[in-house]
Amino acid sequence: MTEPIISIRDLRKSYGDLDVLTGIDLDIDRGEVVCVIGPSGSGKSTLLRCINLLEEPGGGTIALSGTTVFGDGKPQNLDELRREVGMVFQQFNLFPHMSATENVSIAQVKVRGRSRKEADEKSRELLDRVGLGDKVDEYPDRLSGGQQQRVAIARALAMDPEVMLFDEVTSALDPELVKGVLDVMRGLAESGMTMISVTHEMGFAREVSDRTIFMDGGVIVEQGKPDDVLGNPSHERTKQFLGLVLAN
Amino acid sequence: MEAFFQTYFDFQIIEDNFGYVLEGFWYTIRLSIVGGILSLIWGLILAVLRQLPGRGLAPVRWVAIAYIDALRGVPLLLVIFLISGGLGALASEGVIPEGLGIPRWFGLPDPFWYGTIAITLTYGAYMAEVYRAGIEAVPRGQVEAARSLGMSHGQAMRFVIVPQAVRKVVPPLLNDFIALMKDTSLVSVLGLVETVQAGRDVYSETFNASALTLGAFLFLAVTIPLARFVDWLIKKQDMKIQRGIP
Repeated sequence: MTEPIISIRDLRKSYGDLDVLTGIDLDIDRGEVVCVIGPSGSGKSTLLRCINLLEEPGGGTIALSGTTVFGDGKPQNLDELRREVGMVFQQFNLFPHMSATENVSIAQVKVRGRSRKEADEKSRELLDRVGLGDKVDEYPDRLSGGQQQRVAIARALAMDPEVMLFDEVTSALDPELVKGVLDVMRGLAESGMTMISVTHEMGFAREVSDRTIFMDGGVIVEQGKPDDVLGNPSHERTKQFLGLVLAN
Repeated sequence: MEAFFQTYFDFQIIEDNFGYVLEGFWYTIRLSIVGGILSLIWGLILAVLRQLPGRGLAPVRWVAIAYIDALRGVPLLLVIFLISGGLGALASEGVIPEGLGIPRWFGLPDPFWYGTIAITLTYGAYMAEVYRAGIEAVPRGQVEAARSLGMSHGQAMRFVIVPQAVRKVVPPLLNDFIALMKDTSLVSVLGLVETVQAGRDVYSETFNASALTLGAFLFLAVTIPLARFVDWLIKKQDMKIQRGIP
């Protein structure tokens, strides 16, 4: 049994009186593809944001490849964490004043210390890989939502992360643009990337994930093979949620 | 009517004193440009200090906020006197070197530099508030994206937030610049013969206001085109927003 790439123990988070995460234990293995589903307000996005320490947890520990990145109530080795963990957001968050290539290159140059030429080469290669080889010089406002999201994926990949976090990345997209983004994610999963994806795409979860996690009320209610969790849930709350989601 | 015209539009007086008023206006321009550029820089520094993250840097934020509040709440005229009187006194007592206390850099007289310093201190505070509005208008997701890529707070500000913030606040900054340019006339209290003082000198000699009228038109020749330019910029930005472009 190899060491898990992400190891979370008793992770807690609250906003004032509102407890959003009430004790999460979770291990993610290298190369594993995990989909997190659950109703809004269940804490699934907060969990993802805590893993990247965009939200500071209220307690518990997070370790990345055995290195503690959150413990004793404060972040540790924050820079290392952010370098090794890529994140893609629901709202893309591309830098509007930079072209697609510059978006993908900037952190390579400023954080990884690559030369501009080296970074741009890698950026074009990645943009080509996400199907945007002809859009490398476009600015975000000239790209569709789906194209912007694929640039955002390329931007995160350019840092050579060990883990990729996806926070409802297709939720803000028009239906016809979802497939292009999911195809990129599918390819990424097949290439062996460790992925944690908060998603409403049940089909994607079922087809691509190694493990599906259902969260509600700040805890992991149940987890397991996607066919089991989605096809034959054992908890009442999971059944209710899936009943509502799959009804429409 | 004739008397009115004579008092304000005596072309003979305007012609005779055109060079003198224009020389004063040249001071106005230099005060505006040097003070304007320094205010832009100082304002940005203040705004960035004000946005520093974390509990440990809270004192820096407080100092920046206190400074901005204080300088926005005090008349520029008073600051001009504080600077000229204070620096001069400190230099004569040997607390600071004379080159700093009685500055005559680049061959310009010390009232020019006292005025420039006072304008920078005051307008830096105004412009810091404008920058702050711009920084706060950049969506939260931009910082998060930058930080998630491993950028430090400083890198995120420098490469992602400030470039976007500055684009948003060019029109209000230009409005502040117009106000700054008009306020350079206050430096005349230190004996600098800028546009207004030049007009007053002619007035006390001739008992005729035409040189002041000339000064007014010289100001308008700069401020009206600038105001139109600001309107044009705002209209252009609004069109972008209407098209749904961030």
